[in-house]
Amino acid sequence: MTDAKTQIAETVKSNDVVLYMKGTKSMPQCGFSSRVAGVLNYMGVDFTDVNVLADDEIRQGIKDYSEWPTIPQLYVKGEFVGGCDIITEMTLSGELDQLFESNGVNYDKDAADKIREANG
Amino acid sequence: MTRTEEIRQRLEEAFSPRELEVIDDSEKHRGHAGYQEGGESHFSVKLRTETFDGMSRIARHRAVHDALGKDLISKIHALSLDLQS
Repeated sequence: MTDAKTQIAETVKSNDVVLYMKGTKSMPQCGFSSRVAGVLNYMGVDFTDVNVLADDEIRQGIKDYSEWPTIPQLYVKGEFVGGCDIITEMTLSGELDQLFESNGVNYDKDAADKIREANG
Repeated sequence: MTRTEEIRQRLEEAFSPRELEVIDDSEKHRGHAGYQEGGESHFSVKLRTETFDGMSRIARHRAVHDALGKDLISKIHALSLDLQS
């Protein structure tokens, strides 16, 4: 594996929830990254953010790692979950809640329900 | 051929969709990162095909990525996919 891939593997395996994004969770630099970070923040999920704009090797490396061409990318317990469209769909369907529950990730169920009420 | 037409053609060939919309959203992103004059940088695709029966969300997205090909995807700044069977 390349250095970038090794680094990514370590990051996603040693942190329960990791979001590779453009910008940071407090200052997203792209609408799609912002939407996913916003959902996780609103749901009170404790997640690690990795700003791909800060490192070109990670920016390319994360696409190679998951064989997925776009950013953001969400990982839970080392597994790639999806990008913005998939996370949005899973949030609205409740699948994201189930994923967090089955992986022992804490989140605010009431906040998740509020997102669904506002977008139902 | 425009990029919009290229996307449409590749998806039609790969999935024989029941419903297909390819929308160039680029104007909505004027002034944002990745915007280029003339558009064709940001796309939304709505695709309905029996091919997606029994496929996970990730598998559907991967199938679309494969159908479009790396070259075309690398030229697009943003691609929003709504994929159902």
